[in-house]
Amino acid sequence: MSDSSDPRDGRPSPRWLTAVAWLLVGAPLAWGVYTTLAKAALLFK
Amino acid sequence: MAGILSKERIIARPGFNRWLVPPAALAIHLSIGMAYGFSVFWLPLSKAVGITRSVPCPEGMSFLERLVATTCDWKISTLGWMFTLFFVFLGSSAALFGAWLEREGPRKAGAVAACCWGGGFLVSALGVYLHQIWLMWIGSGVIGGVGLGLGYISPVSTLIKWFPDRRGMATGMAIMGFGGGAMIGSPLADILMKHYATPTDVGVWQTFLTMGLIYFVAMMAGAFGYRLPPEGWRPAGWTPPVQQAAMITTRHVHVNEAWKTPQFWLLWAVLWLNVSAGIGVIGMASPMIQEVFGGRLIHLPGVPFRALSEPQKQQLATLGAAFAALLSVFNIAGRIFWASLSDYLGRQRTYFVFFGLGTLLYALAPTAGRAGSVALFVAIFCVILTMYGGGFATIPAYLADMFGTRYVGAIHGRLLTAWSAAGILGPVLVNYIREYQLDRGVPAAQAYNITMYVLAGLLVVGFFCNLAVRPVAERHFLREGEPEPAWVPAPREAAVKRA
Repeated sequence: MSDSSDPRDGRPSPRWLTAVAWLLVGAPLAWGVYTTLAKAALLFK
Repeated sequence: MAGILSKERIIARPGFNRWLVPPAALAIHLSIGMAYGFSVFWLPLSKAVGITRSVPCPEGMSFLERLVATTCDWKISTLGWMFTLFFVFLGSSAALFGAWLEREGPRKAGAVAACCWGGGFLVSALGVYLHQIWLMWIGSGVIGGVGLGLGYISPVSTLIKWFPDRRGMATGMAIMGFGGGAMIGSPLADILMKHYATPTDVGVWQTFLTMGLIYFVAMMAGAFGYRLPPEGWRPAGWTPPVQQAAMITTRHVHVNEAWKTPQFWLLWAVLWLNVSAGIGVIGMASPMIQEVFGGRLIHLPGVPFRALSEPQKQQLATLGAAFAALLSVFNIAGRIFWASLSDYLGRQRTYFVFFGLGTLLYALAPTAGRAGSVALFVAIFCVILTMYGGGFATIPAYLADMFGTRYVGAIHGRLLTAWSAAGILGPVLVNYIREYQLDRGVPAAQAYNITMYVLAGLLVVGFFCNLAVRPVAERHFLREGEPEPAWVPAPREAAVKRA
């Protein structure tokens, strides 16, 4: 997500960039939630 | 470097996808959210000298001597001061630097936050390596605490400007990250400490070093991902409602004017009371479920906590940790759920739900405990924790509705002092009431009942504070064409005004 060479070039942001950005934050968060839920599952055993 | 970080450099080009901004905000909030997970370090750090067991300091050693002692281990209670430093410096730096953030832009604030939070870890690594706790307090507590405050408020006004149609959801996404940071950071720290541990080292300083670098890179990436919308930008196909709701302004109140309004202080009280109640529960969740249900948790109904054997208490401790983990999931889920719902329900109504439903649930908790219904008890606190998280995530949008979007980051920063105050009130209230009850011979299973009713009382007060919130008076708003007031009056100017 670096600065565009021409900040007013008007091209839409590429979709892959948005997908990668969400993946980079979503994957660790999903791992964290999974790990926590696995720990919490003991409560229901 | 300053040019790259400047506000002018991050005005988005036409065609920029606004959905790139929330991941940038999340990168910062997920990093600083590790503040909640610092307790993962306490046990290994309490054995940093003895490795397999904690080496106590000699009797009679003074507090100052303990601060620099390298031959005995730190107590967990001493290490726990880190949390106090976090919340005090988070609140105070957000309040002090909020106006600077609005002036200089979110990228510079995010970059400074990355230096402080990541750098704080590095100073702490040195503190652990040299076994000097004061270095840890300064590193992670003070420097890191400033990074927490700056990082926390850095995306707020930017997200609100990008998502005028869904302010609650946008800030909810970022603030959800703060709740989720410990879920990533704690297991990661655990893995790293196991990796670095040797027969002569608990592996903590190496873990601090590694995590400091990871957080610095992640937060810098987030800071460089921030973009500001051009002046007057609106989402495609969206027009502001013609019939504007009375509680949503399209104008702006300056940060220095905002805190002279009753609305600011009412919202301060709303946040303070909601957070105080929730923080109290978070702090006591694990011991509470163990003491309330005792043997029932391990299929020994009727056996109170104190009558259990040590191995049975160990089993209960595991279940207590599982309960705390479950609450943390509901805490982050509530942030995105309630903040998004507030876009449809309205901010004031959402807080009415928090305070109304919260009061009911706190008052019901002792009944669930007496009835021995673990499922109902757990469900009650899961819902309560969603509203604790929801309170944090909805407040920036509430402020933007009341005071406008221009200075909302700075106003939010000042409001976060309520969080610092709640960090003191909540745990103190809960711990002291519990101790008082136990000292008077109340069984451990019932020692939390009064606490629950007191917390319900706090929420009743919060309900009325929220009820008293009305639109901001006309005289507080900036007038069209009026030059923007100075952020902070120069001392001489202020003196002349007072004269």
